[in-house]
Amino acid sequence: MKLRTFLVLALVAVFSMAVFSPAAVAKAFPKKPIIIVCPWSPGGGTDRTARFIADKLHGVLGVPVNVVNKTGGGGAIGFTYGAHARPDGYTITNLTFEIGTLKWLGYSNVNPADFRALMQFNEDASAVIVGQNSKYKTAKQLLDAVKANPASFKFSGCAIGTVWDLARIGMMKDYGINFSKVKFIPTKGAAPAITELLGGHVDVITCSYPEAAPQIEAGKLKALAIMADKRNPQFASVPTLKEQGIDWSYGTWRGFAVPKGTPDDVVETLSSAFKKIFASDDFKAFMNQNGFGIKIRDSREFGQFMMQQHLDLKNIIREAGYGKTQ
Amino acid sequence: MDAVLSVFHWNILIPWIFSMIIGIFVGGAPGLTATMAVALIVPLTFHMTPIAGLAMILGVSYCAIFAGDIPATYLRIPGTPASGAAVLDGYEMSRKGMGSMALALDLTCSVIGGVIGILILIFVAPILAKFALKFTNFEYFWLALFGLSMSAVISRGTKIKGIISMTLGLALATIGIDITTGYPRFSFGSVDLMGGINFIPAMIGLFGLSEVFKYLFVPEKLNNPTITEKIKISFRSVGKVIFQHKSLILRSSLIGNVIGALPGAGADIAAWVSYGMAKKISKRSAEYGTGIEEGIIAPTSANNAALGGTWIPALVFGIPGDTITAIVLGAMMMYGLKPGPLIFQQNAQLVNQIFTVALFSQFFLFFIGWASIKVYTQLFKFPRNIVLVGIVIFSVVGAYALRNSTFDVGIMLAFGILGYGMEAYGIPLPPLILGLILEPMIEDNLRVGLIKSSGSFLPFITRPISFTFFLILVIIFFWDPIIKAFKYVLKKADPAPFKGNRPR
Repeated sequence: MKLRTFLVLALVAVFSMAVFSPAAVAKAFPKKPIIIVCPWSPGGGTDRTARFIADKLHGVLGVPVNVVNKTGGGGAIGFTYGAHARPDGYTITNLTFEIGTLKWLGYSNVNPADFRALMQFNEDASAVIVGQNSKYKTAKQLLDAVKANPASFKFSGCAIGTVWDLARIGMMKDYGINFSKVKFIPTKGAAPAITELLGGHVDVITCSYPEAAPQIEAGKLKALAIMADKRNPQFASVPTLKEQGIDWSYGTWRGFAVPKGTPDDVVETLSSAFKKIFASDDFKAFMNQNGFGIKIRDSREFGQFMMQQHLDLKNIIREAGYGKTQ
Repeated sequence: MDAVLSVFHWNILIPWIFSMIIGIFVGGAPGLTATMAVALIVPLTFHMTPIAGLAMILGVSYCAIFAGDIPATYLRIPGTPASGAAVLDGYEMSRKGMGSMALALDLTCSVIGGVIGILILIFVAPILAKFALKFTNFEYFWLALFGLSMSAVISRGTKIKGIISMTLGLALATIGIDITTGYPRFSFGSVDLMGGINFIPAMIGLFGLSEVFKYLFVPEKLNNPTITEKIKISFRSVGKVIFQHKSLILRSSLIGNVIGALPGAGADIAAWVSYGMAKKISKRSAEYGTGIEEGIIAPTSANNAALGGTWIPALVFGIPGDTITAIVLGAMMMYGLKPGPLIFQQNAQLVNQIFTVALFSQFFLFFIGWASIKVYTQLFKFPRNIVLVGIVIFSVVGAYALRNSTFDVGIMLAFGILGYGMEAYGIPLPPLILGLILEPMIEDNLRVGLIKSSGSFLPFITRPISFTFFLILVIIFFWDPIIKAFKYVLKKADPAPFKGNRPR
C-alpha cells in the first residue's frame, strides 16, 4: 500500500509541476529559447527564410531559436497562436501579407493591431506560372484565353484569400475577366501547388518566382510574368505584367512581430538583433541565392505599412466575394 | 567509385555517427519526432560541407524512425508517429518476455526496409516520381479511405466496437480550423481548440498513460521487474526469422516506399497500411495483435522504406515528400545547392554521395541499434513501480515538448483516461488513432476534389488510379461475402466435395 501512496504522490507532483509552472518573466532578455511561429508549411519560402534567420538570431542573442510550423486556416492558426502568446518576446511571429486579410475573410479577428512590429525584411512580387507544355507564351495570351472561356481554367497557388489568390483575382479583375467563374484549387502552401502544376492537375499557379525557381530553371515550368513595377535583376528574362499592358502589381512581404503588450526594452533588443542580421553580408547573399527580394522597414514604418494595407484589403476582399458571413 | 570513397573521411564520418546516436535518443523519447530530430540537427550543419550536413540529416532520420519503436515495444508509447503501428505486436511480444527479440527483429527489418527503399530511390526514382505526380485529391482521397479501412482489419474484437473507436477518432479530428476553407469548428472561442487535437499527445495518452492506469488497479504486481527476458537474442536466431518472412519484408518495404514517395502521405500511414495488408492476406490473421513476428515485421519494414521514398520527389522534382525532406530541401538551399531536376546534372557527384551515405547509414544503424537495444533492455529491468513513474514523466514531458503547450499535456491526460475506459470495455484503440490521423486527409481531398470537378463525383471513379483504389476497396470489403457465396454455390453444385483428405 505504501508504494501505491508513493506512486500517487509522484503523479501529483509531476502534474502540478507541468500545470503550475511559474510564469518566467525575464529580467535580462533573452534567457531561454525563443520560438519563431511560421504559419506556412515547411519547405515554402516563408519557412526557408525563417529557418535561416532563426540560425542567425541564435548567433546574435546566444539562445536557441526554433522555428515552429503552425499551419492551416490560411495562416489563421499560426497568427492567432502568435498573437495570443505571452507578450514576453519569447514567441516571435513570422508575419506575412495574410495578417491583413483574416479579419475581412471572417476566419479570425487577428489583425495587425494585435502585434507590435519588429522589422520587415522582404517583399516579393507574384509570378504567373504555367506548365512546360502549356501553349501560352505570354501572360496576355493566357489572360485572353481565360477571358474567352473562364470556366475551363483551374488556378492554384495557396489557400483561399491568401496573397497569391488575391493577386490572381486582382489581375483578372483588372483585365475584365469574370473571375468568379474561374476555378481556384486551395492548397496548404506554394509547394503543394507547384506539385499540382507539375502533375498537370491545374493550369496556372500564382506564387512568387523564387518558390518555383528550381522547376522553372530546369524547364519543367514556365514563368509568364511577374506582377511588379519593373523587372527583377535576378531573373531579368521574366517580363512584368505592365510591359504586357496589364496595369497590376501585387506581392507578399515577410517580417517579424511580437504580441502587443510586449515591453519596450524587449522590442528594442529584438529589433536591433534583426537590424544587425539584415545588414550582414550573409543575409544578403542568402536572399540573393534564393531569389528573395530584400525590403527593410523598421518597427515604426512596418507597423504603419501593415495597418494601412489591412484597411485597404477590406474592399478588395469584399469585391472578391469572400467573407460574406461578416 | 570516387563518390563512395569520398564519404569515408573523418570530417564526414564523425558528425555522421554522432547524429545517428542523437537520432536514437530523440526517436526513443516519446513526443520528440524524427522531424524534430532533423530540425534540431540542421542548424549544426550550416558550417559543414553539404555532404557532411546531409549525412547528419540522413543518419538522424533513419535512427529516429527505428528508435521510435523502442518505447513502443517496451512502454506502449510510440516514440514517433511512424511507430504507431509498432505498438500492436511489439508491446504484446515484450509482455511475453521477448522484448529484445521483438526489437532485434524490428531493427533488422528497419535496416532491410531502409536498404530496399534506397535501392528503389537509386534505380527507379524518376519513374516512381512521375507516378507520384499523377496523384491528386481524387487519388489521395481513396488512399486515405483505404488507410481508414485498415481499422476494420487491425481491430481485434467485434467490428462494431472497432467502428465506435474509429468514429470517435474521426469526430475528434474535426475540432479546430477546417483546412479547406479555414472555418473554425467546435472551438468555442478557444485558440487552443482552434489549433485542433494534435495526435502525438493523443497517442501518448491513449496507449502509454492508459497502461499506467491499468497497473494502478492491480498493485500487487508492482514489485516485479518490468520485464523478464526469457530468451537471449543472437544474430543467428534473428536471421532465421527474417529469412522465413523474406517475402513479407519485401512486400512491406515496397508498400512503404511507394506511399513514402507520394508527397501527400508519409511513414505513419505507410506503417498502418502495411500492417493491415499483411494481416488481411496472412493465414494467421487471427493472431495479429497478440505479439507475433509478422506484426512487427510489416510496419517496421514499411516505415524505414518510406524514408527512402520521401527522397524520390525531393531529388527528382525538388518538392518535399514529407516534413523531413521539406527541411532537407531548405537546408540544401542554404548550402548553396539548387535541389530539383537539375541536381542530377549539376551535382552528380553529390547525388552519388547521398546514395552512398544513405546505404551505409543502414549498416551503421544495425550496430548502433543493436547496442541501444542492449542498453534499453537493462533500463527496463527496474521494478515496475519505478518504470511506471518514468512512463508518466516521459508522457508529460513528451506531450509538453511538442509545442511547449500545457494544453497538450491536458489532451494527453484526457486521452489516457479515455484509453483506459475504452480498453475496460474492450473497445480497440488503434482505429481511433487512424481516424484522428486520416480524417483531415479524407475531408480535405474530398472537398478540394469536388471543387476541382465542380461538384461532380465522377473523377473519383473515372480516373485510372482512383478507379483501381476504388476496386481494391470494394474487393477488400466484399471479399469474405463473395468467397462465402462462391463456396455456397460450389457446395450446391457438388454436395460432397473434398471430404476427409484435404491437407489442412
